[in-house]
Order: sequence, then structure tokens, then C-alpha cells
Amino acid sequence: MSAPPRTRPVRVVIVDDHRVFRSGVRAELAGAVGSGRLEIVGEAGDVEEAVAVVAATRPDVVLLDVHLPGGLQRPGGREVLLRSGPLLAGESAADPPVPPVRFLALSVSDAAEDVIAVIRAGARGYVTKSISGEELADAVQRVADGDAVFSPRLAGFVLDAFGTGAGEVAAVDEELDRLSAREREVMRLIARGYSYKEVARELYISVKTVETHVSAVLRKLQLSSRHELTRWAADRRLL
Amino acid sequence: MTPVLQRPPVYRPPLVRPRTGRKLAGVATGLAVHLGMPVKTVRILLVATAFAGGFGVVLYGWLWALVPSAEVPPLSAPATQPPPIQPQPSTVPPPFGAAPVPPSGAAPVPPFGAAPVPPFGAAPVPPPAAAPTRGRVDLVAGTLLLAAGVVLLASRSGWPVQPGLFLPLLIVGAGAIIAYAQFDEVERARWARRAGAGTGPAAILRIAGGLSLVVLGLLLLVVRGIDIAQLSRTLAAALAVLAGTGLVLAPWGLRMWRDLDEERAGRVREAARADIAAHLHDSVLQTLALIQRRSHDPAEVARLARAQERDLRGWLYGRAAEDSSTLAASVAALAAEVEDVHGAVVEVVSVGDRPVDDRTAVLLAALREAVLNAARHGGGSVQVYLESGPDGVEAFVRDRGPGFDLDAVPDDRLGVRESIIGRMERHGGTARLRSDPGKGTEVRLLLPDREEAHS
Repeated sequence: MSAPPRTRPVRVVIVDDHRVFRSGVRAELAGAVGSGRLEIVGEAGDVEEAVAVVAATRPDVVLLDVHLPGGLQRPGGREVLLRSGPLLAGESAADPPVPPVRFLALSVSDAAEDVIAVIRAGARGYVTKSISGEELADAVQRVADGDAVFSPRLAGFVLDAFGTGAGEVAAVDEELDRLSAREREVMRLIARGYSYKEVARELYISVKTVETHVSAVLRKLQLSSRHELTRWAADRRLL
Repeated sequence: MTPVLQRPPVYRPPLVRPRTGRKLAGVATGLAVHLGMPVKTVRILLVATAFAGGFGVVLYGWLWALVPSAEVPPLSAPATQPPPIQPQPSTVPPPFGAAPVPPSGAAPVPPFGAAPVPPFGAAPVPPPAAAPTRGRVDLVAGTLLLAAGVVLLASRSGWPVQPGLFLPLLIVGAGAIIAYAQFDEVERARWARRAGAGTGPAAILRIAGGLSLVVLGLLLLVVRGIDIAQLSRTLAAALAVLAGTGLVLAPWGLRMWRDLDEERAGRVREAARADIAAHLHDSVLQTLALIQRRSHDPAEVARLARAQERDLRGWLYGRAAEDSSTLAASVAALAAEVEDVHGAVVEVVSVGDRPVDDRTAVLLAALREAVLNAARHGGGSVQVYLESGPDGVEAFVRDRGPGFDLDAVPDDRLGVRESIIGRMERHGGTARLRSDPGKGTEVRLLLPDREEAHS
């Protein structure tokens, strides 16, 4: 991890409607909690509870299940994100500054609609529940540092959705509807199963640069109006 | 039916009013397309008959009102012939021999013979499964001709023809045919509305038209010999009675309709639930039973759970129908097979897709070998990335195993050298191996498209 060492553990809230799964995540993260990297400050089992717990504890990272009971909209995880909207930004002007609450989606579902729903609502990444404890702790840390977390599947989805497989590449990095050549390379390596560190070594760039590229892709994923992205969203009345 | 001239099943476009190439309402153009005659001939005939007692004008107006406006289906489209329509229990049985309208309206015309006129009201020969729209039109025209013939015969044989009796009957008959023949269309429009598509007001309009024809005909029949003033009064009275009856019966009809709707929705829900239950029983419950029996064997339990997860996932997210006609689906199936046999976790990420052909089949075979190798030696976790681009296909297989040195592999070991590298190179592709001792192995398969390879 290239981020500066944190002075306090990352405060985490686990949101999932299955108690068994929540305790499973706790157990998986026990190592990171024991070493002082993470601290689990709350749990929630449905939309209402999640919104309340997040507002009360203001954690650094919320591990958010996509499909949650309660609330009015589907998927429920998206509603939690929308209703926690003001917290996502944080208050850098306040004294002391209030850090933003960041969300990492954690779900068994890898359907494209679910991915797009939570990412466009503001989640900083998406990992499936088959992730190992060590990887999950890394992902939480990374999200807490403001970076994005892409699993191979999410990277593949991004490449597909932005037409990169069909050879569409942005001429300038700022173009929202396509990936730049470098972003494409990074996404392809992640889709091939490379860790950020391995991507950095492969491309002769720093891990920080990899993180910058991934964050840029996340931003495009959230803001792009590419019809592949908006169509999924529109089908589920997400826009 | 009397034996008819067997004629080859010719494709005849359904009678529609084409949107393009019409002069007034497209009736003549549509007729010409339908009958296979030049448009000019049809127009001349129409005009000529218009002077002969106004028949042409009536026919034109009538067809204008009755024939739906649509794009003319291309003549060379028999490939899109719908399969013979299964008898649908839900559709209204078409009375008066009106044939069910095939869904696409572009059905081929079965050898229906020269469409001899069936006696009015009697069912014609049971039409072959897919009776075309044309059948209906033939029927109408036939009825007209038959009626005309009967009148002619009657007048010839000295029986005094009373137009006052004959005309109303004809109108009633025509109205009934129109209304009944449209039932199919209304039924379909309702389904389309359910599915979120637009409504079909034209069909309802036509039913209304048919109904008013029937009413008009009946009135003419009843009020024969009464003058105009009385007629209008009678008409008003009849309408008032109809409206009153409708008003009284409306709530009842509405409730019936709603009950029917609810019942249908309930049946659909029930069917879906039964479907889910059946699937869960066949898959998840069976696997859980197996897992309980094999609980002493962790590897086997993991394998079963993984296979079941994959199956359920495919079912839930609509990837159940994994046919092997596309590359991505084939790779997914391949990964599933390796998972089942070797107990490794194979994650597949596919970008783009293309159909499997002879060349991609080669890539698949090499990929399969690479995945098998990775599953055997790679420490249980394999990552497959497949990208189908416009210039070719590229695939990566990565594992986190101990890695190995290709040069150290003896020549007689066919696995990597022959099955992967040799195979790819024989077909204009490349295969590259990269192995970091301790970090894992990655196989890269590249298959450029032929044009690219030759340029």
C-alpha cells in the first residue's frame, strides 16, 4: 500500500441482511482488526437500519450488500447510498474536517445491473463475496484511502460497457464515454487477475499511478452517458 | 368440400394497405400486391365497377375501412414463415369460418384451393393450421358472390326478389363477419398492451364498425316500409335500449373481467412459484443432501458447493441457457467442466463475443489445455480473460501456482508444447508462456482474424 500510514484504524460498518454472513465477514477481517488496521464500529441488516447506523457512526468505509430488505427502492443497497448522499462528500471545510463516508459494495450477485446501480449511486468499488479476508481488508483500506476497487469481473464489465473490446479508445483522457489507451491497459490487466502492484510492475508505473487510472475509470463509470451504461440504468428506472 | 384444383402453395402477401406507393388509401395498391396483378389493372377495374352500379366505390370504401394499413412484407421472405400455429386454447374460436389470423400476418398461403364459396355460416374445410388473412377476405368476397348468385338465381326463376329483404340480411352478415374476424386482433392487442406496447384502437374501431353494420341491417330488416322520420325515431329508441342495457350490465361485466384478470395473474404466479420450487428441488436440495453425505470430504464438499453455486447463478441471472454457439459461452462451459473435474476455482471474464467457428474452435482447444494445466498445477485458482475484438481473439490464463520453466519441460511432454503452442501456430495464432517462479504462470493465446494475418 502506497498510501501514507494511517494514525488510526479504518472504521468499518458491515451492512448485510444475513447475520451469518456478517459474522463471517467479521471473522474474515479478524486478522486486520487484531493488527489495528481496521475497526468494526457497527452492523446493519436492512435499509433503514443501515442509513441510521451510517449516520450515527460516520464510518470510513461501509461494506454494503447490494440486495437489502426494507426501503422503497430496489436494489436496497442503492437506496442506502442515495439516502446517505450528504455523507459521501464529507466536509473538508469544517474544523476538524469531517472525512467522507465511502462505500464498498460486497455482493454475491455479479449481474451487470447490480454493479452499475451501486457504482453510479456512488460506491467506490465492487467486490464479490468470494473474496478472501486478506483481499477484503486490502480493498477496505484502499477505499478508505479514496481509491477505487475493481475486481477482475468489474474490470471486464467496464471494458465491455465502454466498447473497449471493440477497439474504441478515447483520444483524450478527459473523454467520459471511452477509456484512454492507458486506462484500457490497466483494466485489461486487472481483468486478467493482476493485483494493483502487479499491474504497476507490468506497466513500469507506480502503484499510485495505477490507483489514479482506476479512480479515473470509476469516475467515467459514474458519470458517463454511454448508452450501454444508461440503458441498464434506464431499464431499472435508476436515472 | 368438392375436390379442388391442387395448386402449388404459392406465397401470397396478406391483404394490407401499403404505406408506400399509395394514391388515395392504398386499397388498389394493396389489392394488386395481394392478387399479383398490375396496379393499373386493379385501378381500371375499380373505376369500371364504380360506374356499374357503384360497386367499385362501395368495395373501395369497404376495403379502406377494413384492411389494416401496414408495410408490405417483402416477397422474398418465406424464411420468416412462422411455424404452424399451435391451437391456442385462449383464443376465441373463430366462428363463421373466419380463419385465425397468424401472428405475423405474413404466413404462406397453404393450398387452399380456389376458395370455393362455402355456404354462409357453415365452417369451411378445416383450414390448414396456419390459415392466412386471405382466407377471411376470400370468405367475405365469396359470401358476396354467393349472395349475388342466389339473388340472380331467384330472379331468374321468377321468384320476386325483394331488395328490401335482401340488403339488410347482407349487411347483417357482413357486419357479423367483420366483428368476429377482428376478435383475434383484439385479443392480441390486449396481450401487447399487457406487455407494455401500444394499444390497437383500429381493431376496436373495426369491431364497432361491424356492430353498427349489424344493428343497421337488423333495423332495416325490422323497419322495412317505414318512412324516414319513423326510422330515426326507431333508431333512437333502439340506441336508448342498448345504452340502458349496457349501463346496467357494465359493472357486472367489469367485475367478471377483473376476476378473470386476477385469476389469470394468480395462475401465472403459481406457475412461476412451482417452476422455482422444482428447480430448487432438483438442484439445491439434491446438492445439500449430497454435501451432508460427503461431509467428511472437504474437497468434495467445496466442489459440490461451487458447482451448485455456478448452476444457481446461471439460473438466477439468466445464463442458464449456455449453448456452445458463442465463444464466451463455450469458455464458460469449459471452465465449469474443469471446475467439476479438478476442484479448482476457474473465474472467467469475457469481453465481447463472437460465434464459434473452425478457427476459434482451435483457440478453444488450446485454451482448454491451458486451463487444465493451470488447474492441475496452479494451486487451485485460475483466472481466465477472454477478449473478442474486431481484429481477433485474445485469451489469458493465469494461475498463482509455483510456476515452471518451459525449457526444463522434457520434449516428450505433449501438454504445453504441442497442444497449446503448436496448435495455435499451425492456425496462424501465437501462444506465449510466462512463468515467474513462485508467482504463477500466465498463458497468452492470440488468434488474429485471417484478413489481419494475411495483410
